[in-house]
Amino acid sequence: MQANVLHEVSSNATPLPRSTSLGLVYGGLLITLVAAMVLSVTVGYRIYSLPQAFAALFAFDGSEAATVITSLRLPRAIIAPLVGAGLAIAGVQVQTLARNRIASPDTLGLNAGASLAVVVASAVFGVGSLIGLSLTAALGALVTSLVVFAIAAGAGGLSPIRIVLIGVTIAGLGQSIVQIILTNNEAQLQNLLFWLAGSFVDRPMTLALSGGPFILAGAALALLLARPLDALQADDETAKGLGVPLTLVRIGCFVSVSLLTGASVAMAGPVSFVGLVVPHAARRLVGLRHGRQIIAAALIGAIYAVLADVAARFVIFPVEAPVGAITAVLGGIVLVALLRRRAA
Amino acid sequence: MTDSPAIAVDGLTLAYGNTSVLDTLSLAIPRGKITVLAGPNGCGKSTLLRAIRRLHKPSAGRILLETTDIAKLGERMLARQIGLLAQSPSAPEDMTVEELVRLGRYPHQSMLQPWSPDDTRALETAMAGTGVTHLRERHLGSLSGGQLQRVWIAMVLAQETEVVCLDEPVNHLDMSHQLDCLDLVRQLNSQFGRTIVLVLHDLNLAARYADQLVFLRDGVVAASGPPEELMVEDLIARVFDVDAMVITDPAYGRPLCIPLRTR
Repeated sequence: MQANVLHEVSSNATPLPRSTSLGLVYGGLLITLVAAMVLSVTVGYRIYSLPQAFAALFAFDGSEAATVITSLRLPRAIIAPLVGAGLAIAGVQVQTLARNRIASPDTLGLNAGASLAVVVASAVFGVGSLIGLSLTAALGALVTSLVVFAIAAGAGGLSPIRIVLIGVTIAGLGQSIVQIILTNNEAQLQNLLFWLAGSFVDRPMTLALSGGPFILAGAALALLLARPLDALQADDETAKGLGVPLTLVRIGCFVSVSLLTGASVAMAGPVSFVGLVVPHAARRLVGLRHGRQIIAAALIGAIYAVLADVAARFVIFPVEAPVGAITAVLGGIVLVALLRRRAA
Repeated sequence: MTDSPAIAVDGLTLAYGNTSVLDTLSLAIPRGKITVLAGPNGCGKSTLLRAIRRLHKPSAGRILLETTDIAKLGERMLARQIGLLAQSPSAPEDMTVEELVRLGRYPHQSMLQPWSPDDTRALETAMAGTGVTHLRERHLGSLSGGQLQRVWIAMVLAQETEVVCLDEPVNHLDMSHQLDCLDLVRQLNSQFGRTIVLVLHDLNLAARYADQLVFLRDGVVAASGPPEELMVEDLIARVFDVDAMVITDPAYGRPLCIPLRTR
């Protein structure tokens, strides 16, 4: 295998690790995640020491440092991994569902639907609070998934190619309506631009506490569907021959992806490319069995989002960049590398 | 045959929309034998095979597995009894051989019943039986066409079904891989005791490997029996619209058809 960007994630890259090395992979990823979260709590416009961070978390003393850490840094250090893991697990499922490795939750139009809902709510109904926008976004993603699902089912079945075509169409439609509305509302544009790029800034802890359970539920459903998803990697005929209830599994995946993406977009706005790129890295590390793929993708996605969030604080210092821009730039580079390798 | 058939097709009628494909077709698939379905394009042979695996819903008639109507079996139960190698199966290029063969164990597992030692045994037996054990870590994309077909057969073997259906398994293979693949199918039959139902286009390969040969035409069974009885000139002319000469092949003593001209 050639050296490539994905290999930097771990030195344990083997096609199909035995259980011992699988434990090492998970353990390594988990340690990396914890380290990244510690980094996220301590590093930013001001840099705090580890003792300061521990003191703020476990012996709050009301100091400025403690306040910044608990009310600003901690929520994003928790929301970022939830969103990253959620989008990555959704990405694994969508890529298997669509039998297409460049599909992602975006391909189903869920992010575009959430954006459209938020822009409409803001421009037409004057919704301005973060919680209001979050609920609107989740609702937009869910409605979009129902629309894509209904059109696909009505058009004769949930075949992979049909799901992708309908999703991409809905995504394009949603994005163009967003553009039209924003072009006519310059004031809205300023307000919403940051949201539309995805960000973890200024999120209250309640957002993590209300979005978290949906991420966990979506992840649990994905793990329950891991075995049928394995079989769905083969063609429909073969999967049916193995006794996989295709429609039931596809509906289950839709529900899981909607929960994961809806909760993610509610917490952070549309963070792009995580769901597209992370599954590739996960497959590289642990192979194609979904039980493994989902766990690895969740960990890698969480790390990716936390590190992107930390990077977002420094790329245009002292101003914060939207984290969606960071994940998109990094993800774009990785994707081009992947596509070049496949073409070669 | 004193044994009851493994599968009995009883008055099966099947239509796509208004086009009738199978018309009150009846057929017995003998247990532990190789049955080859043959016939001209559009005769319904693949449809019959798929109906036996319940991928098509008949509009009339039934298919009995032992004495049970397959329409009454649950998905998992049916998948433990009848395996299918689809006509052009596909899986991701970066899937490993072992990952693919493991899929064959799907119907034997459930949420409460995860991977067991029995699954491991079946997986290893299937890979060893098809000679792909040494390829287990290889990606499917790196295999030759012949190797790939062996791996797919290993997957169906791992499913440990009494009946194995194969839909034109040698279509895209060259001559040596065709023989290789069909020898392997015969081995599934002789060594692993599977009842085989096979759709084949090549009449001479069909005659060479079949215990029971079935000629289909226009959705009905035109004739069925041992190849020696079916490989006769007027029957071939009637079923395939081809004037042919049938000789006994000097190497194996099986009937060999030499097509002369279309009628």
